[in-house]
Amino acid sequence: MDVNQYLEIFLDETKEHLESLNAQILNLEQSPEDSGTINEIFRAAHSLKGMAGTMGYKRMQALTHDMENVFSEIRNGSMKVTSGLIDTLFQCLDALEEYTQNIQETADEGTNENKPLIEQLNEFLKSGGKTEEAPAAPKAEAAAKKDTVERKWEQIKLGDPEKHVFSVAKQQGKNVYGLDIRVQETCILKAARAFLVYKAIEEKAEIIVCNPSAQDIEDERFELEFSLIVVSENPLEQIVNAAKNVSEIESVTGDVVEVEIIEEPKANTGISIIEDIKPAAASAQSQNAPAKQSDKKANKPVVNRTVRVDIEKLDVLMNLVSELIIAKNSLVSASSTEGTSSIAFNEQIEYLESVTTNLHESVMKVRMVPIESVVSKFPRMIRDLSKKLDKKMELYMSGEETELDRTVVDEIGDPLMHLLRNSADHGLESAEVRAQRGKPAVGSIYLDAYQDGNNVVIEVRDDGNGIDVEAVKRKAIERGVITPEQGDNMAEKDIINLLFNAGFSTAKQISDVSGRGVGLDVVKSKIESLSGEVEVKSKLGEGSTWIIRLPLTLAIIQALMVIVGGEKYAISLGSIQTIEDISPSEIKLVQNSEVIHLRGNVIPLIRLSKELDIESTKSPEENMVVVIVKKGEKLAGLVVDELMGQQEIVIKSLGKYISKCKIISGATILGDGEVALILDANALI
Amino acid sequence: MDQFKLAELNSNETAQYIVIQLGAEQYGINIKFIDNIVRMQNITRVPRVADYLKGVINLRGEVIPVMSIRLKMDLPADEITKATRIIILKLEQHGMIGIIVDEVKEVVTLSSENIEKMSYDAQEGKVNFISGIGKHNGELISLLDLNVVAMEK
Repeated sequence: MDVNQYLEIFLDETKEHLESLNAQILNLEQSPEDSGTINEIFRAAHSLKGMAGTMGYKRMQALTHDMENVFSEIRNGSMKVTSGLIDTLFQCLDALEEYTQNIQETADEGTNENKPLIEQLNEFLKSGGKTEEAPAAPKAEAAAKKDTVERKWEQIKLGDPEKHVFSVAKQQGKNVYGLDIRVQETCILKAARAFLVYKAIEEKAEIIVCNPSAQDIEDERFELEFSLIVVSENPLEQIVNAAKNVSEIESVTGDVVEVEIIEEPKANTGISIIEDIKPAAASAQSQNAPAKQSDKKANKPVVNRTVRVDIEKLDVLMNLVSELIIAKNSLVSASSTEGTSSIAFNEQIEYLESVTTNLHESVMKVRMVPIESVVSKFPRMIRDLSKKLDKKMELYMSGEETELDRTVVDEIGDPLMHLLRNSADHGLESAEVRAQRGKPAVGSIYLDAYQDGNNVVIEVRDDGNGIDVEAVKRKAIERGVITPEQGDNMAEKDIINLLFNAGFSTAKQISDVSGRGVGLDVVKSKIESLSGEVEVKSKLGEGSTWIIRLPLTLAIIQALMVIVGGEKYAISLGSIQTIEDISPSEIKLVQNSEVIHLRGNVIPLIRLSKELDIESTKSPEENMVVVIVKKGEKLAGLVVDELMGQQEIVIKSLGKYISKCKIISGATILGDGEVALILDANALI
Repeated sequence: MDQFKLAELNSNETAQYIVIQLGAEQYGINIKFIDNIVRMQNITRVPRVADYLKGVINLRGEVIPVMSIRLKMDLPADEITKATRIIILKLEQHGMIGIIVDEVKEVVTLSSENIEKMSYDAQEGKVNFISGIGKHNGELISLLDLNVVAMEK
């Protein structure tokens, strides 16, 4: 069997385990006595070791093995969790991540043996006390298991047809054997191993009964062992050896089954057989297995119900759904223009419409993943930063379950990390300053994610110093970003936004955490490339909040269709606040630009005809249709000629060739096959 | 582009060209860069782009930019007639682009010996849209250098 086909699964699972280890070890530091956490850690480390071993990554296995020993000591209570130990463990995780990285890139773990780490671990083991206990415990456990495990095949109850087969076989001079096969606990591909055993035995014997059923084994619905009853003319030993030749098989035990030709009194019918076996097997398990194994059992079905799908396949599916929606839209427009509006036809179109909308939603949901996978590494990062910067800080996260498109989630990690580092380095004050200001000694950084309409908002907040607007202004002038005169006229908000300029860093000292001055502009461009936006609010002395706003979906949106100068444009419904009918007399001039006063808000007017270089078809005396759009807290009124209505549109890229036009974010194909451009309200404001 | 040149360098290689009419001149486009030829259709204008970019069209669900090769070459603007066509090019570097031509005439097969290379004259200082001249039945066909055509001005 070629292990390469399992490489992807291995990588995925390794990453999962590493993530969980990171999170749990952090937990452990907080509450060293929590047995649940320790068990979780132990389990993850153990699986890692097993998987690395299976795939033949010896160095990785060696390192995890020693880590596991340490965890085992902690679990036994013979070793105390110290800060030094946690540091070492984190270094080990980093080393493991490096292995994983290497494997991902080259399918090879690399040659770094991480000797010093292993030595360190062993050092801890020695000083931690009774090292001898560790090997003793598992042995006893294993021994205990063996006793109850033996001759499980006897628990298989036989129906009449099987008995008949056995007695016939016996009469032909063949033997009937019962076999128990136990797979190693560390084996990750139990089903594959079991299948190999099955194959090996099949060459030597005919398999009559299998418990659990062959199908269940194939689907990995079994614990570590399974039993077979086979008929064969070969001696038992040959069959047992054949099975033992498969790697990762812990034990194969077998015996001759005494076949009675007469009917057994306890013979049962098919249905009750299954019912009988299940409880028997389960009780045998729970007697000897510690909490660890019963946990595993509870987790299994959940894991098995998911399917890993290549994201490209989903993209194809998404494209097909887009095509379908375009086709549906053209049906809708055909039915309304041709005048052939039979009621039945319209009903069917409405039905089609609801189906496509549901289909679209389902496909979108499939692509959605919680941001947890990205943010889960942050507590660890903050912990490291806290040590490095020698500032006490704590990260509070909420809304990790908020879901975003997979492509967005993959990209959002780096910008968030930048912002968190910024908060930790620039935001939070040193301990002395905090004490002076009467703030708690431990600084707080918050990461909150939540859904807001068609957007997902991620906020990074700290209770630190906030942004010193004067310092930013001075720096900007110093760097020649703005002139002193400009600086005097700029609003506070605009000055803060200067931070997003390339090559701008206000940290007086350049630390290796942040302050290379490449951070914030990268954050901004990254988020804008995801059609999102970032904004910052700050109060000097009280802290700052960075707000990232990302669209929920990237491919299909609800939009308002408008007409400007005879051309059709789409505006995303998500950014539209209201639509107003405004008479030209209501327009006021402020600083020579047009504004309207609407329910207490002064809203700047943007004449789309001017932005789009086209003549408006409306005379200036007529009332204007104004679409009020919002970007964060800013509002603007877009003047259009006419409204067409709401429509579900598929966003198509204009391609690299026409990417210069900032105010157009894409194009869409209307029902009649015409192309309409999508206005980017954010770029207009 | 290199591919394009290499194909021409191999002597006695033949290539098929689609002959188009632009004003008074005939131009040839190597058939392997052509994805499709469609009738003139409604082009959606894109604001704030170069004037030779006429806008975008819908080609079976894809949004394709269309440019006027006349405006690009500083010829008088297109006059749309029944014969006007949009040739959809598929270029490695730029993806799909449509170009508007006055008329599509025929397909000819030119062997490399019938193609006269254009030597690049730097002193002219003008963008050269032609990679060579093909001779076919006594007529001359200017072979378009598509990468130059597609290049942004």
